[in-house]
Amino acid sequence: MGCASSIPDKNAGRSDNLNFEHSTVNDPKNIRVKLVLLGDSGVGKSCIVLRFVRGQFDPTSKVTVGASFLSQTIALQDSTTVKFEIWDTAGQERYAALAPLYYRGAAVAVVVYDITSPDSFLKAQYWVKELQKHGSPDIVMALVGNKADLHENRRVSAEEAVEYAEKNGMFFIETSAKTADNINQLFEEIAKRLPQRQSS
Amino acid sequence: MDSDPDTNGAPEPQLSEDEMRLSYLSLEDSRHVPQGVRLERNGSLPADFYDAREDIKPDDVEASPPRMVTGGREGSSKGKIGLIEGLEMDGEAPPSPSSSGYAGERGSSGGSSGTVEAADSGERVLHDDWDKGKRRIDEDDTSASWRKRKKHFFVLSHSGKPIFSRYGDEHKLAGFSATLQAIISFVENGDDRIKFVRAGRHQVVFLVKGPIYLVCISCTEEPYEALRGQLELLYGQILVILTKSIDRCFVKNPKFDMAPLLGGTDAVFSSLIHSFSWNPATFLHAYTCLPLAYSTRQAAVAILQDVADSGVLFAILMCRHKVVSLVGAQKASLHPDDMLLLSNFILSTESFRTSEAFSPICLPHYNSMAFLYAYVHYLDVDTYLALLSTNSEGFYHLKECRIQIESVLVKSNVLCEVQKSILDGGLHVEDLPVDSSLRSGLPCPHPSQGRAGPSSMSDIGGPAGLWHFIYRSINLDQYVSSEFSSPLNSSRLHKRLYRAYQKLYVSMHDRQIGPHKTQFRRDENYVLLCWITQDFELYAAFDPLADKALAIKTCNRVCQWVRDLENEIFLFGGSPFSW
Repeated sequence: MGCASSIPDKNAGRSDNLNFEHSTVNDPKNIRVKLVLLGDSGVGKSCIVLRFVRGQFDPTSKVTVGASFLSQTIALQDSTTVKFEIWDTAGQERYAALAPLYYRGAAVAVVVYDITSPDSFLKAQYWVKELQKHGSPDIVMALVGNKADLHENRRVSAEEAVEYAEKNGMFFIETSAKTADNINQLFEEIAKRLPQRQSS
Repeated sequence: MDSDPDTNGAPEPQLSEDEMRLSYLSLEDSRHVPQGVRLERNGSLPADFYDAREDIKPDDVEASPPRMVTGGREGSSKGKIGLIEGLEMDGEAPPSPSSSGYAGERGSSGGSSGTVEAADSGERVLHDDWDKGKRRIDEDDTSASWRKRKKHFFVLSHSGKPIFSRYGDEHKLAGFSATLQAIISFVENGDDRIKFVRAGRHQVVFLVKGPIYLVCISCTEEPYEALRGQLELLYGQILVILTKSIDRCFVKNPKFDMAPLLGGTDAVFSSLIHSFSWNPATFLHAYTCLPLAYSTRQAAVAILQDVADSGVLFAILMCRHKVVSLVGAQKASLHPDDMLLLSNFILSTESFRTSEAFSPICLPHYNSMAFLYAYVHYLDVDTYLALLSTNSEGFYHLKECRIQIESVLVKSNVLCEVQKSILDGGLHVEDLPVDSSLRSGLPCPHPSQGRAGPSSMSDIGGPAGLWHFIYRSINLDQYVSSEFSSPLNSSRLHKRLYRAYQKLYVSMHDRQIGPHKTQFRRDENYVLLCWITQDFELYAAFDPLADKALAIKTCNRVCQWVRDLENEIFLFGGSPFSW
């Protein structure tokens, strides 16, 4: 393939690549899950992931380009392990059209906004709609209000977010990547809600 | 030029064949016009063109308005507006709806608050001042500090909407952008195209690329051709991020606001603009390799070739801005400018350092309309692998390829050798062998012999007062430059020499009076010597008091030295890497 062609998607159907993309693997004790983070730029998607995967927080914000790929495995109390293969997508507008590249086949979508920015909350709603239209039908969606440590500057109320999340069948949590508040809880909660766990 | 078998160890007066040839060429070239005058007459190389300070120029901005003179059809005389006939459209084909590309019109709800901090750790150590000099968001065209900047870059749309400004917040520069747009469209309405305006010490250079206008305002005395080349690269960097299908957005909506689509890319552009003052690749249109033992590089080539055969379009292993190894799939070739833009994009994007990434990317010379998909992964703090594919689903395959490549590179010790090479640095003028018959492939054969004898101008630099050189292999599209050493030991001096080379390059490649074969110039800063043959271009800087005959002799030695080391400093591959 690909000698002199630069037309994308020409080989999109290649089966050897798609093998890896199954959102989950059918071993009830060792679950592998594709998870995608979506949200406006600057809401802290990368910070949430880096806090979860590496336990780090870097206050100097680094713009994500395209999408970063990280993975982290957690063990649940019933001795099942869940390996999250995380796509941390760029929030910039130019990547919006390319998002399907990353969220297609995802079992979990984490939609993030910044509790100090109503605009980012609107953007989160845009992503929820997009996922409802084009995401996997049984996708687990979480709505995350990040930067909870900045509560004195809060401009999106928890009530408003809860109401929106319930209406759309989402799990809602407020986190702070800075203080690590609720970060692990977020991923543990997601793991509990995975359909293959509930059926097993 | 062939190898010189002259091994009789003759003292200086007896010139070798090569040396005589070069002396002859240089004499021949200057026979009709006295040396130095020939080029000054061209007006491109005034002796006093250097400014010591970069960011803020001492005087106030030129107060007198630029004179626009019509009828300056030749377009190169100073103090006039330069026009060329007709509308050259650079062969821009209408966007084809079938080719994939940018779809920026989607997902534009919500504000794009592109707050960007371009923190950088590695690059800052190397290139000290680019991030200090970047973006002053609080400035606009009314601030004195903004007006004192020595070199501005602007990008705007054909409707006058600001897209990018090197300094200041582009949103506050709407009025200024509209003025630039008015100047450009005024000339275009006359079925003509504006090239530049000269106003006092300032040169305003324009580049029109379809609906996107690029402007540089500079008082750095860089030649028009150099500044235009920089605008071309700036445009290329935009295409890397958005592809040329961005033009379609302007077809649909002439007042389209493109600035939000470049959100988060400030660091990419400021790093590119900074490279205009330190990276010779920006005007040589060639890339440079990290010096490595031939077998080490071949080991890296071999493993990259394996993955290229498995459906990777380009596999590129780089260390900072130098190539370790590079392989393209059959028939695919990578333009040196695309490599520059790609490596600049990767090096200036911090998120690539954090974790493996998969990003759409466009190589403008390869296909300006479509994205390729790049898998980028840092193997260590300096060394990174970029695997480019046409397949948007290719991530897992490329990841597998990377794991395979990484394990081979670790096993065969390539990564250690790369680190060692960084520490050792490249070619040092002090190590230039005095004996041109020396044919060993070792980078530093006999350091004691490396210093020229009693004829040396001083103890610093190389033999015969050689301070620095750049050798560009024309067939390979690669160059090698010596490391900076004493007395060129500050970034200010590096930049000054770099600009002198750039000027030399432009004057050597001048289409109206050139191209030239040799040039020898002396001013209060350097002796500069340039020699161009079918196979290579050599640019060398000497002590300003250097002896001419000795300098010429030394240049011959440099060429011989480079040829002796070519297996270590250049990349030779099976498939063609360039056009």
